[in-house]
Amino acid sequence: MMTGPGIELVDVTKRFKGQTVLDGVSLAVPQGETVALFGPSGAGKTVLLRLIAGVIEPDAGQVRLGGRDMAAVPPEDRGVGMAFQNFALFPHRSAFENIASPLEARRHSAGAMRAGVETVARMLKIDHVLGHAPRALSNGQKQRTALARALAGRPKILLLDDPLCNVDAKLRFEMRLELPRLLAEEQAATLYVTQDYREAMALGDRIAILDRGRLVQIGTPADIYFAPATIQVARLFGDPTINLLDVIPETDGRRPFARLSDTRAPLDTGLVHAVGRPCVLGLRPEALRFVAAGTAGAVPVTVEAETPLNEKTVTLAVTKRGREILVSRPSGTPGPVDGPAHVGIDASHAVLFDRSSGDRIVPKADADAHKRGAAA
Amino acid sequence: MPLAAAVPAPPRRRFRIGPRLLPYLLSLPALLVCIGILIPFGTAIYYSLQRYRLSQPWARSMNWGENYINFLSDPSFWNTLQVSLTYTVLTVGLELVLGLGIALLLQKRTLLNNVISVTLLLPLMTAPALAALMWKLMTNPNFGVLSYLVGFVGFEDFRWASDPSTALLTVVLVDIWVYTPFIMILLLAGLRSLPTQPFEAAALDGVPRFVAFFRITLPMLMPYILTAALFRMLESIQQFDIIYAMTQGGPGDTLTVFQVEAYLNFFQSTNVGRSAALLLILWAITFFFSNLFIKNWLRLRERARGEH
Amino acid sequence: MEHESRLERWLRGIALALVVTFFMFPIVWIVLMSFQTNETILRMPPSLLFTPTLSNYEALITGRLVSNAGVLEIEFMSNLMNSAILSVGSVTIALLLGVPAAYAFARHQFRGSEDIAFTLLSFRFAPPLLVLLPLTLYFQELGLADTYVGLIWVYQLICLPLILWIVRGYFEDISPDVEYAYRISGHSWWATFRDIALPLARPGIAAAGLLAFIFAWNNFIFALVLASADKQPVTVGALAFVTASGIQYGQIAAAIVLSIAPTLALALYAQRYLVEGLSLGAVKG
Repeated sequence: MMTGPGIELVDVTKRFKGQTVLDGVSLAVPQGETVALFGPSGAGKTVLLRLIAGVIEPDAGQVRLGGRDMAAVPPEDRGVGMAFQNFALFPHRSAFENIASPLEARRHSAGAMRAGVETVARMLKIDHVLGHAPRALSNGQKQRTALARALAGRPKILLLDDPLCNVDAKLRFEMRLELPRLLAEEQAATLYVTQDYREAMALGDRIAILDRGRLVQIGTPADIYFAPATIQVARLFGDPTINLLDVIPETDGRRPFARLSDTRAPLDTGLVHAVGRPCVLGLRPEALRFVAAGTAGAVPVTVEAETPLNEKTVTLAVTKRGREILVSRPSGTPGPVDGPAHVGIDASHAVLFDRSSGDRIVPKADADAHKRGAAA
Repeated sequence: MPLAAAVPAPPRRRFRIGPRLLPYLLSLPALLVCIGILIPFGTAIYYSLQRYRLSQPWARSMNWGENYINFLSDPSFWNTLQVSLTYTVLTVGLELVLGLGIALLLQKRTLLNNVISVTLLLPLMTAPALAALMWKLMTNPNFGVLSYLVGFVGFEDFRWASDPSTALLTVVLVDIWVYTPFIMILLLAGLRSLPTQPFEAAALDGVPRFVAFFRITLPMLMPYILTAALFRMLESIQQFDIIYAMTQGGPGDTLTVFQVEAYLNFFQSTNVGRSAALLLILWAITFFFSNLFIKNWLRLRERARGEH
Repeated sequence: MEHESRLERWLRGIALALVVTFFMFPIVWIVLMSFQTNETILRMPPSLLFTPTLSNYEALITGRLVSNAGVLEIEFMSNLMNSAILSVGSVTIALLLGVPAAYAFARHQFRGSEDIAFTLLSFRFAPPLLVLLPLTLYFQELGLADTYVGLIWVYQLICLPLILWIVRGYFEDISPDVEYAYRISGHSWWATFRDIALPLARPGIAAAGLLAFIFAWNNFIFALVLASADKQPVTVGALAFVTASGIQYGQIAAAIVLSIAPTLALALYAQRYLVEGLSLGAVKG
C-alpha cells in the first residue's frame, strides 16, 4: 500500500458574503486512503472539494496536496480528478472526448489516449457508449462517464462529490459494491462526499463529519458508530436511529449508573465525573434485547409495534415512564409481538452526552489515553 | 515523496495571470473603448457652461449656467420641449395600443400567426432613416400612392409632412410603422409566457372574456408593457432619424425635437453652447427614465433566465 | 378560445389583413417602384400593370445615371461598400471586445462589475448627439475625421452593450461546474474559455453579432455627424442621393431596396433570436 501525504487541509476557512461556510477545517487524507465526507446539505462539503480542486480559494488556512502548498497553484496543475454531483459532462463532446480530456490536456498521443480511455471505460462498463453524446446517455451512464473522466488521468487526488446521488437505487447499490474495489486499485487519496450514512460506512476507511462548516468528528466507521462525538452525529448514523434517553447519572460508590425505570444501567467507570449532571444516554437498538422477566437489570416495557426490516426486526416499546425505545434483533429470532415484556441492556456500548452542549462525555481513562497519545 | 514523482510538474516558469486580475483584464479593452466615449460626454458638459459659437471663436468664454437660464425665457426651447413630449406621448401611446392589439390577435401559436409575426419584423429591421425616405416617396404630391389614396376620401392636395398642421402626424405615422412591431413582439412573447391556469379557471367560472382581459391578462402582462413602453419612450424622446430624414425639423420649427434642434443649433447656427445645454437637458430626462427602465428590465431578465 | 363565433373569426381575419397590409405595403410598393421607369411611376392613377425594368439597378451598379440633363455620376455603390465595411468592422471589434468582457461579467463577481455593466448599458440610452458633437471637434484634432476607424469606434456605442448583455446571458446559462471540470482535467482558463464557454455560447454570440450588424447598418446619426462624404454609409448616402438625383424616383427606390435588403434578409434568417436580442435578453422568444 502506498502511503505519503495526500490531501492536507490546515485550518481552512471560507466565507461567502459575510457568511462563514467553512470554519477552520483541518483534515489529512494520506495516499491510498478513502475518507467519506458526510454531512447534511449546506454543511459545506461541496465548497470543501472545490477548495481542494482550486476552483475557489480559501480566505484563510492552507491546502496542501502531495506535501506541496497549493496557494498559488491553479486547478489545472493540481493533479486532481473530480467527479461532480451533477456530472458536469461537456455537452458538446462525446463520452470518449469527455473521458479523454485529462489525457488530452497532458498531450498524450492519440494511441495512448485511446488506450487510457478504453481501459477505464471497460472497468466502468461503458466502453459500448463511448461514441455517444452526453444527452444520449442514461443517468447511470452519465454518472459512470463522469467517474471515468475523473479516473482517466490516474490522479493521486480523487474528489468524488456525491456521485451516486443522482442515480437510481439499483445502480447505487451496485456501485456501492464496486467502488471500494475501484478506489483500492487507484491508491489515490480520495475524498468521497455523501449524504447517505450507509454509503459513508461502506466506502470510507474513515469518515469525516461536517456540520455547518465545522468538522465535528473524524474517525473510522466503528468510531463514528460506537463513539459519536455529538448527539447530532449519533442521530445521523444508524438505522433504526439510536435511543436517546434523558438521565442523570448516579453512583453507588463503585461505579456510575443511569437509572432507567427503577433498574440501573451500569456505565463506564471512567464516567464518574458525569454524576449529577443532566445527560442524555445513547443506546443503539442492537444493544437492547428482550429477556425473560426477572432477569437482573431488566426493564419492564409494553410492546407497541413491530417492523420487520430485511435482516433485522425493529420493535417499538414503551417504558413505564412513557419513554419510547427501539429494540433491534436479527430477523427470525423470537421476540414478543405485543403486551408486556422485559428489555435487557448491554451498556458496554452506551454513550453519554452532555444534555446542554450535546457533546459526548468521554470516559476518563479514554481521555487520559488520548492525551498520552497526543503527547507521544 | 512518492507524489512529487507521480505528478508531472516540471518547474517551468511562465507568466501566470492571477485569478483575481483575470476578470479585469478580460473587460479592460471594452472599458477603455467606453472611457474614450465618456471623455466627450465630459466635454459636452463643459461646452454647455460656455458661451461658444464656432463662428465667433474670439467670444468664447465661460458663462456658467447662462445657457440654461436663457431657456426659461426662450420660446423656441419651450417649443422643443413641447414637440418632443407630444411626439413621445403620441408615438408610445398609439404603438402600445396597436402593439397590444396585434399581439392579442397573434397570441395563438398557429403557423399563420407565426409567419405574420415574423413578417411584421421587417419594418423594425428597416433603417428608420430609409423608412422615412420610403414614406416620403409614398406621400409625394406628384405620384405618391398615399396622396392618391387620400384624394379618394376627399383630401385633395393633402400636403403630409410639408404642411405644418399635418407634419407631426405624418412622422408619427412613420414612427408607428417602424416601431409598433417592437412592442408587438415583446408583448407577444409576454402573452405566450403567461400561465394558462388563471384563464381556464376564469372560463370555468363563466367570467366574460373582456372582464378576464382587464382582470387577469393586463395585470399579468404589466411588467412587459411597462418595459416595452419605457424602452420606446427612451428612444422616442430622442428621435432624430425619422424626423431629420423626412423634414429636417420643418416646416418652420414644427418638428424641432431635442436632438434635431441641437443638431441644427450646432451645424447651422454654430451655437455649440446652446446645443450642448439642450442635449444635457435631454440626457437628464432620459437618465431618469432609463433608471426606471433598467429596474423593470432586470426583473424581466431574471424571470426569463429562471424559466429554463 | 374554443367558442369563437363566425363573426369573430371574420373580424379577426379582417383585422389581421389590415395589419399585414399596413406593415407590408410600403416595402412592396417600394420594390415595385424600383422596377419602373420614371414615366410609369409618374403615371396617375398608379397601376400595378407595368413592364418591369432593371434600368434603375443598372444605373446604380454602373454608377452612371444617363438623363436628359446629361450624365450624372452616382456614388451609391461606394455607400453600400462603406456600410458593409463599417458594419462588419464594428461587429468584429465589438465581438472581440465584448465577448471576453461578457464572460468576465458572467463568471466573476468582481468589484464594480455590475456598475461597469450598467454604465455600458446606459450608453445605449444616452442621446447620441451628446457624445457625437464634441467628437466632431476632437476627430479633427486626432485625425480621425476622415477614417473608418473613428466611425467604427463610435459604433461601439450601439454594438458593445448589445453584445455584452446578450452574450453574458448565454454564458450565465452554462453551468460553472462544466468549466470547472475542464480546468480540473488540466486545462488553462484560456483553453476552457476557448473549448467550453465559446462553443456552448455560440448561438448567443451569433445572434448578438447579427443584431449588432443590423443596428450598425441601420444607424444614421453617427455617420451623418461624423462621416466625410466618401465614408458615408447607405443611410446617409440615400438621403444625399434624393437631393442629388432630383426626380429620378426609380433609382431612389432601387437604392432604398438595395439598402434595406441586407438587414431584412439577416432579420429573416436570425428571426429566432430577434426577440431576445431586441429586448437585450429581457424576454425569451
